[in-house]
Amino acid sequence: MPRSIGGVKGTPRAFATLDLGAATTATALIGRVAGRWRLLGALAAPASAPADVLLELLAERIRLADPDLAAAAGLARGSTQDIPHLVARSSVPGTVAVLAASARALEPLTVAVARSGWRWRGASGDRLHAGAMTALLLDPTVSVAVVGAGDPPGGDERAGLPELVALAAAATQRRPDLTVVLAGSAGNLRTRFGLPGRDGRLRGLRRGDQESAAGVARPASNDVSAHPRVLLVPRDVEGGVEWAALTAALAGLRRDPAESRQAMTAALGGLAGALDRRVELLEIGLDGGLRASATPGPTAGSSHVRAVQGAGAALVPYELGEARLEAVQAWSTQPFDRHRLRDRLLELRAAPWTGVAGDGARLRLAAARAALSRLAALTPEIGDGPAPDLVVMAGGAFAPAPAAAILLALADAVRRPAAIQVVFDHARLLGPLGTVSDPVERDILVADLAGDLLLPLGSIVMPGGIRPGRRAGRVIVDSPAGTMTMGLDHGALEFTPVPPGEQATVLLESAEPVLLGSYGRRLSVDVAGGVGGLLIDLRDVPLRLPDRREARRELLARWEDSAWPGGTA
Amino acid sequence: MRARWSAAGSAADANRPAGPGDGDPARDADPAGDAGFSLLAVRRTIDPVLTVRLALAPGDQPLVAAGDQVVAGSALARRLREPMIRGAGRVGRGERAAVAPRSGQRWAPEPGAGIDPDLAGEYLFELDGRWRVIAGEIADPLEAPVDGIVTSVSGGAGISLATTASGVLGSTVLGGPARGRLAIAATPGGELRASAIDVGRAGEILVVGARIDAEALTRARAMGVRGVVVGAMPSKERRDFMASEARQRASRQRLPPFAVLVLDGTLRRPISSPVMAILETLEGREVGIVADPPCLAFEMAVDAPALPVPPTDLVRIRAGALAGAEGRWAGMAGPRRFPGGVWLETGRVELDGGETISVPLGDLERFA
Repeated sequence: MPRSIGGVKGTPRAFATLDLGAATTATALIGRVAGRWRLLGALAAPASAPADVLLELLAERIRLADPDLAAAAGLARGSTQDIPHLVARSSVPGTVAVLAASARALEPLTVAVARSGWRWRGASGDRLHAGAMTALLLDPTVSVAVVGAGDPPGGDERAGLPELVALAAAATQRRPDLTVVLAGSAGNLRTRFGLPGRDGRLRGLRRGDQESAAGVARPASNDVSAHPRVLLVPRDVEGGVEWAALTAALAGLRRDPAESRQAMTAALGGLAGALDRRVELLEIGLDGGLRASATPGPTAGSSHVRAVQGAGAALVPYELGEARLEAVQAWSTQPFDRHRLRDRLLELRAAPWTGVAGDGARLRLAAARAALSRLAALTPEIGDGPAPDLVVMAGGAFAPAPAAAILLALADAVRRPAAIQVVFDHARLLGPLGTVSDPVERDILVADLAGDLLLPLGSIVMPGGIRPGRRAGRVIVDSPAGTMTMGLDHGALEFTPVPPGEQATVLLESAEPVLLGSYGRRLSVDVAGGVGGLLIDLRDVPLRLPDRREARRELLARWEDSAWPGGTA
Repeated sequence: MRARWSAAGSAADANRPAGPGDGDPARDADPAGDAGFSLLAVRRTIDPVLTVRLALAPGDQPLVAAGDQVVAGSALARRLREPMIRGAGRVGRGERAAVAPRSGQRWAPEPGAGIDPDLAGEYLFELDGRWRVIAGEIADPLEAPVDGIVTSVSGGAGISLATTASGVLGSTVLGGPARGRLAIAATPGGELRASAIDVGRAGEILVVGARIDAEALTRARAMGVRGVVVGAMPSKERRDFMASEARQRASRQRLPPFAVLVLDGTLRRPISSPVMAILETLEGREVGIVADPPCLAFEMAVDAPALPVPPTDLVRIRAGALAGAEGRWAGMAGPRRFPGGVWLETGRVELDGGETISVPLGDLERFA
């Protein structure tokens, strides 16, 4: 798989990008036009579609639409196989079995594993007997076993911990391919149970690895050549996040620069540098989600990137438990009972490219909101940080939705008092561009294409601290189309058309201080337009919804109707 | 309703049902010289040569070894009904193993050790020099659903069989594995009610149309039916059936194995005509239902008629109001705007009634 398009600065006049997702194959053709790289076109189809046919169809459309441009880019008939390709590929996350002595001890471990991009199944010694735990470890879909305990172990862990390590050691006798991660004080029992891996202890993660452009951590030293692999990780707390080293070690086991989400994270650093803005990426796909933030550094290539992948943030998670079902139902405007909703979601998981039009569109965005909420809950360190200037939305969950509906879904699920611009990776270029191994070449490409790869959806202005039950002031939006004034009324939601490429000024005048970056009674922000326009969101931060299902559904439907032109029926 | 198209192909190729995607489906199938057709999702109907994996749990006793040749119906393993963990101290006294045991090895109590000799099990793990074993008093046989050669036996995990059987692929199997005579009991879009199942169906695997409820499944099992092939099954019915299956598994008087093969998913839609045509061809033959891969396994004799081949340009609508409808591919229709401002690539489909409609490409599937 090429990790470089070769002579970007030289001969090629065009190259192709392929993002081979779990649900969708997305292709794009990039051409050299007027001395810089430009997006010529993009096309996507269900994942089973052959990429070469898709690319040739795209090239044919470009030839029909602009023969001169196609000729200048060298897109002759049948030429798409010969031009360089950048390929990013989604991989189905493996499963980690997480064993702890008690349910209390299990919970923080599973949170740490959930942040590593792996699927997980947990078991605690106080709830499951040894036979069932062994069955879990022998399940062929499980490739890593994590046995963890506090250091020192808690009172509820001491008695059961040796049995858990013994179970893991016994499982490696049957499955030498099983990787065992002993976390916290479980590592002290390694030699007692004859587990190999003397040199396998992680000697601390290199900070640069964890926060590198690749966005994944890898052990600085781990002896992984011999099976079974046994890694030892300490219990630590970093930035308020428990078991950070465990998350990093597991993410390191998944390291693959050509994997879509890891590659997107790499490209995000270049994007932040090129735009000189704080950028956040929110991606929801069929098999997982990604949240990454990038802050430009003082020099080229020095962007500070942090990223968290979560299999649980998939559009329809593999484990569709009651809580997750409830979360989707909470966002759904359709009167499905739980069984019907589960059926619809299972169908969506089995064939995610179907039912995109009609009521399936709203169901998809209800599932996407729930996924965004799960992703936000997984990433408190990003959410609690400074608000980004720009949010990049990505992933198949949002691909077919209208721009305003995506803006509203984001505003619903990820709430913070700020004014942010929202764009969409509409051609799914970030992943393929991120596979370029040379960071300089990658940053040049991203900078060249930044204007084309980001479709401006619009902006969200979401002030905080507006109290209910009183008219606090007014909002004045001054745009090239005119001036619009609305009351600063708690709970109001208003879309204002501000076309892409245009700017508007939003002035908030309030009797009491409101929060929008900073507190004040008179605040003014410049915002960028987009296909979905400007969303003034005066609802609670965080959002409060009625407890009664009917009332909640009615309220959500009213908000959604403002974002779906002509409805979805 | 019977299949609308007739059998084709040669008997010699019967074990490898031909289809538009016999090679690379995405490239072979392009009936109208239209690249758009190859962008449609491909629905594989047949796995021509099955490799079957049968799951085992810790404590289950394999009765075969890699390389063994087995015939359908022969016992492959004994599955423990109520596995128990036994302490190492008691095991140590009656230990038979001459060398240090390893996890997964079989354990049997020494005669005269004061332990029930029927209580066999396997070593699970060692703690402080004493082994724990998993064992049980009652075991049920796991029978081979098809002929084959055992390629691997992984204690506590599973048995793999290389077979010469083919399989009609589905999406999920509940219960099983099971084996029986295939019988068509309902039309592709129909539904089999509990009252329509009687003891005359004993030993059969029934094709029951678009859906079936848990009550009908429970009655079918009670009447001696060995399995059911159904177009779709809602998750509530699945849950109810699995709960019933668990209760049945726990009872002393067990019925023969019973399996449900769900061909599509959870939302009701008729069995597709290519699959129905194959099932009709197989009617009256001995078949098996296996879970991995989820399919209806069958052997094809060399002199048997070839399986029917669907028209190359046959497409099926997978979602929306017309879910389950079939028609002929009539070419790409380009991007279209749908309600809510959603723009989607579409294709034209000539339905059986002659009407031609534009359908999002994502909502269409073709057969291979």
